[in-house]
Amino acid sequence: MPTAIVTIALLLLTITPLAAQPDPIIVGRVGNSQGAPVQGVQVRAFPLSAPEAIALTETQPDGRYALPLKRPLPAALSIEFRRPHFTTGRHDLSGEQMSFLNSSNPVVLLNATLPRHRGVAFWLTTILFLSMLVMMAVGKTHNTLAAMIATAGLFGVSYIGRLFRDDLYIIDFVDAVRFIDWNVVFLIMGMMIVIAIVERTGIFQWLALRSFEISKGRLKILLPVLMLVTGVTSAFLDNITTMLLMTPITIQICLALGIHPFTFLMPEIFAANVIGISTLVGTPTNILIGSYARISFNDFLLNLTPGVLLSFAGLIGYCLFIYRDELNKGVTISEDLLDHLRERARITEPEHLRKAGWVGLGMLVLFVFGEYAHLLPSVTALMGATAMLAWIEPDVEEMIEAVDWTTLVFFICLFMVVGSIQEVGLIAVIADGISWAVGKSLILAMLAVLWAGALLSTVIANIPFTASMLPVIGYLTGSIPGAESKALFYCLSVGSAMGGNGSLIGASANMVTAGISERAGYPITYLYFLKKGFPALLVTVSLATIWLLIRFIVF
Amino acid sequence: MAQESQKGVKHIVCAVRGAPESRSTVNRAIELALESGARLTFFHAVDAEFLAYATVAPLSLVHRELHEMGVFLMMILCDRARRRGVAEVEHVVREGNVKKLLRQMARESDADILVMGRPSRRSRRSLFKEKEFETFVPELEREGRFKVEVVTHLPQAET
Repeated sequence: MPTAIVTIALLLLTITPLAAQPDPIIVGRVGNSQGAPVQGVQVRAFPLSAPEAIALTETQPDGRYALPLKRPLPAALSIEFRRPHFTTGRHDLSGEQMSFLNSSNPVVLLNATLPRHRGVAFWLTTILFLSMLVMMAVGKTHNTLAAMIATAGLFGVSYIGRLFRDDLYIIDFVDAVRFIDWNVVFLIMGMMIVIAIVERTGIFQWLALRSFEISKGRLKILLPVLMLVTGVTSAFLDNITTMLLMTPITIQICLALGIHPFTFLMPEIFAANVIGISTLVGTPTNILIGSYARISFNDFLLNLTPGVLLSFAGLIGYCLFIYRDELNKGVTISEDLLDHLRERARITEPEHLRKAGWVGLGMLVLFVFGEYAHLLPSVTALMGATAMLAWIEPDVEEMIEAVDWTTLVFFICLFMVVGSIQEVGLIAVIADGISWAVGKSLILAMLAVLWAGALLSTVIANIPFTASMLPVIGYLTGSIPGAESKALFYCLSVGSAMGGNGSLIGASANMVTAGISERAGYPITYLYFLKKGFPALLVTVSLATIWLLIRFIVF
Repeated sequence: MAQESQKGVKHIVCAVRGAPESRSTVNRAIELALESGARLTFFHAVDAEFLAYATVAPLSLVHRELHEMGVFLMMILCDRARRRGVAEVEHVVREGNVKKLLRQMARESDADILVMGRPSRRSRRSLFKEKEFETFVPELEREGRFKVEVVTHLPQAET
């Protein structure tokens, strides 16, 4: 739009001799201290002698603005740039600029840089954001409730606080809604419906038991096979659902074989967290990253899968080593119990599974080739879910109820909270800090994002962590030479997902597995998980680092 | 609780999770059933409340899987009891809050003895706090009109 206005202004210049003098116009671009465009800056023109503005406009997403003025112009003009969370800028037009505006070529170019202003709103937003993370980490408050409390706090301060002090304004509802990534919300919703239909076919239980039969009860073969089944499943469905359904059957297989359930449960969790990142839909963090950085299904497959396979190979070796005593133990197979498992682990709805398989294949084709038709993954997921509902004809109400609305509300609130910290400048502070530490080195930036992401994911829930880091990585991608390959986004994906293996609270899949295991009388303690999981993190992230450096630095 | 003669005992209920640390509780229940010739029921409560604190739907399928896992754990115990010579053994698996289910079982069951494990002092995951357990047991005895035999757990093994 501003380009169009400039064009019109230039056209006006060329026809000036034939028409009356055109109205003057001031055009320009407003950026922050890092040079990034600032949207929504109010640009106002004041006569120096009067307090009331004679013209007003707002900057566009690219930071550009066009401020048309009316003749006759006052003797002197001052242009003000005002936006919450930025220091207000004021520029008095020089005599030369004024005479230019009064001439027959009345266009003046005026760029401005607005430094950030860290006031009360900045600190309150930071406190609310950190409180949300602490609530999530402590685990006493539901994640969704924690995000809702933070969102409500932000609006409360903005709307009510502003009645008392102007600088308490953080963000308004309309601006906050702009930060919600609906592609993510609808993709997750569509995949939830797909999962709800597929999981009822009994495929998970069947796969787990088939793994046992393929390995003929040899534990050293059964372990990698179960890891592979869990990992590949979690690459197409979400890790939490995969582990929710794999954990009970795994515990039962272990008990039927007379071995400790952790022998298979822990490697399965590790595999889900590692292999899940090979696809766009495998983890919520990849969905967030893919949508923000416009990384397609194919991009994830091409850029991450070799690294994931390398890490997975290392992970198998690690698991075979740490559970060697249990795996070398003689197995006491209870045939009665295995018969019971065989009876249960059947495909309960083969016809539904066949149809779901065809639709799933269609979805895979659309995920892979859809980018050529600018088909968003969320659209593919919704189309797939609808096709399954229409063809398989399950109880629609039951399927819609299976959508985890709590999770969707969690994402919506999280986007608004992250939008707020972006709005007040906390993201810029973090980005500046990382930038200062790594300079212009892509290798250092990759290592920092990868390892800091992995280590922080052991203490911070990886979804809010990833959501918060996206704008930071976006900034670094724009400022570090070579990062335009989106290498840093892949590092974030690997770090946040594989980092989930470092501690019990590192990933939701870990928590639900521990919950189920505890119900069976086998509690996975925080310390136990740390003891087995942290070395798994070191092994897998190290191997993934090697791949990412080869992929983005060597080639 | 002191061991008394098991004469007249017809039904013993053993409330357990089925974990290794329940072994002594299960053994005690089997011993009592063998001494008295009573019917033995293993009672298992599936508590899926933990799902409410994860960012995940309380899927009906997950509940079904948890229920099946409970059934499987109890089948193992039934198998063990049969091998040791208990003639009549069965299991009951219910879903919900464990304490409420125990009270409900107490009201509905015709059991003469309820065998259950004492919460471990060291375990943070015990269902009951120690003091709470001390008051819960007499209440259960009153409601169920049976004797509660409390067994102290062995330390839990980890691989």
